[in-house]
Amino acid sequence: MVWIYLLEKEFKQFFRDPGLPKMLISFPLMMVLVFPFAVSMEVRNINLVVVDNSCSVTSERLIDKCVKSGYFRLVEKSSTPERAQYLMDINKADAILTISSDLEKQLAFGESLPVGIKVNTINGSKGSIAAGYLSNCISSFVAAENSGERLSAGNHIEVSTKFYYNKYMDYKVFMVPALIVIAITMITGFFPALNIVNEKEKGTIEQINVTPIRRSTFILCKLIPYWAVAFFILSSCLFIAWIVFGYTCAGSIFTLFVFTGLHIMVTAGLGLLISNYSDNAQQAMFMTWFFMMVFMLISGIFTPIASMPAWAQAITYLNPLRYYADAMRFVYLKGSTFFEVWYDALGLFLIGVAMMSWAILSYRKQE
Amino acid sequence: MESGHIIEIRGLTKKFGTFTAVDHISFEVGKGEIFGFLGANGAGKTTAMKILCGLSKPTSGEGKVAGFSINGEQEKIKRHIGYMSQKFSLYADLKVWENIRLFGGIYGLKRKVIAERTDAIIQSLGMQDWKDSLVGSIPQGWKQKLAFSIAMIHEPQIVFLDEPTGGVDPETRRKFWEMIYEASDRGITIFVTTHYMDEAEYCDRVSIMVDGQIVAVDSPKVLKEKYAAENMDVVFRTLARGSIRQ
Repeated sequence: MVWIYLLEKEFKQFFRDPGLPKMLISFPLMMVLVFPFAVSMEVRNINLVVVDNSCSVTSERLIDKCVKSGYFRLVEKSSTPERAQYLMDINKADAILTISSDLEKQLAFGESLPVGIKVNTINGSKGSIAAGYLSNCISSFVAAENSGERLSAGNHIEVSTKFYYNKYMDYKVFMVPALIVIAITMITGFFPALNIVNEKEKGTIEQINVTPIRRSTFILCKLIPYWAVAFFILSSCLFIAWIVFGYTCAGSIFTLFVFTGLHIMVTAGLGLLISNYSDNAQQAMFMTWFFMMVFMLISGIFTPIASMPAWAQAITYLNPLRYYADAMRFVYLKGSTFFEVWYDALGLFLIGVAMMSWAILSYRKQE
Repeated sequence: MESGHIIEIRGLTKKFGTFTAVDHISFEVGKGEIFGFLGANGAGKTTAMKILCGLSKPTSGEGKVAGFSINGEQEKIKRHIGYMSQKFSLYADLKVWENIRLFGGIYGLKRKVIAERTDAIIQSLGMQDWKDSLVGSIPQGWKQKLAFSIAMIHEPQIVFLDEPTGGVDPETRRKFWEMIYEASDRGITIFVTTHYMDEAEYCDRVSIMVDGQIVAVDSPKVLKEKYAAENMDVVFRTLARGSIRQ
């Protein structure tokens, strides 16, 4: 019966807090409507300058193809390479495409490269992506020209790419499940830690400790409201993604909830650990910041784990976000069942058990 | 336990590493007594009091509080004691009645009993106008009185007050001591720590701690006679003079 009074207290305090209820509403909205655009690796509107020395029908077709790809915006056709370089120097051009005068001849006999690419890499990732897009455009153009000629000879191999699970290579749909991961971790791990430390700082926890109430009941009642909030955020993120972008979960939504439940066990342990080791909000904030940084950067949410060096990959096995984000993406994008991603469940479970045990042991020592 | 003693402590010791915060203290407190627990900062008062409240375990020594052992029966002790700390410890973001209701609920009182006691507390403190105010918004003196009433909501046998009148004006202090006397008249034992030596005079008996040891336990009257002092302040200074920790 005691827990009814405690839950009443926690919910009242939650909704009376000047910031928390607002965050409850704005978090899912930001997560789905703003962040997927902000963290997108897609580059559009690359400013392209062309130096066309060929001035032929073929060169016109090549330029047209590049512009129609949707990634480039043709700034101008410069008459001289110097003019094009000037535009790049004043940051008006991201890429320069130089077409040599013998374009048609080279295409026909195919001895050397008939075009040159120069990219502005002041913004490194934008530059390399621009170079990639541009060379893709050109090579597919060259391939199309050649195949057209050799069609009469028959016998040609066409290589094409087909994407599964995210057909249109939409980066946003890739980020939505991963951003939910970050939101859930914040809400269920770090907020309760701050809440407990806050009671330590104000001295109210001392008053609670002299009552016969069990510490575990007290802590559990602190965590429950945040769990409710976590499931609310998960549901509303899925709902908003569906209403606004038309994204739906390819797998079972129930599996998403199960994994969220598992992850919550881990974050609860982490939150308790932080609260055990900090006496004031400042220390708790600092630890939260440290863990959140490390967790996010080596989680595979923003950068693929497979492209990390072996030692960094080894570290990711200790990161609960790795397992949760992996499972969320597999279930949401690919429709994996729980048993197909059992290893993620196992990883979360083991880390959860370790964190909980550590939290309980470190708490007992304090007496 | 001897009849009439509600707290009985023998050879209580608490060590933190090599530092002995409480060094073999022994004393008893009678039922319904107002017992003043005096000592300079760092003398070990708070540590000793935390053990009596079941918040911490003694390194050695034994004792009973409200009939339960301080070694292993802490949870039973907690049912029969009330506690109010020097740091104001109600929830500032809950209303007056919500704080009363919360602690009533924590001590396992029935819904009906909680409602009755809420009315009684608000009535006796004259806080009708503040019933729906957040505790954070009411004056310090009222908060202190409310905290004391809430510490007694489950009708405990003993109430521990850790510097209850710190930071309040003399008038509120006087009213607070009236409340302590009322509680004592109802048979509740009061165990109070304080820095104010004039308040020590209000106690039935006092103990004075110096460097983790109890150097004197008796009524203020006897102590004053023994040390030929005109007030408790002089007694305290005479005894605390030999302190090394100061």
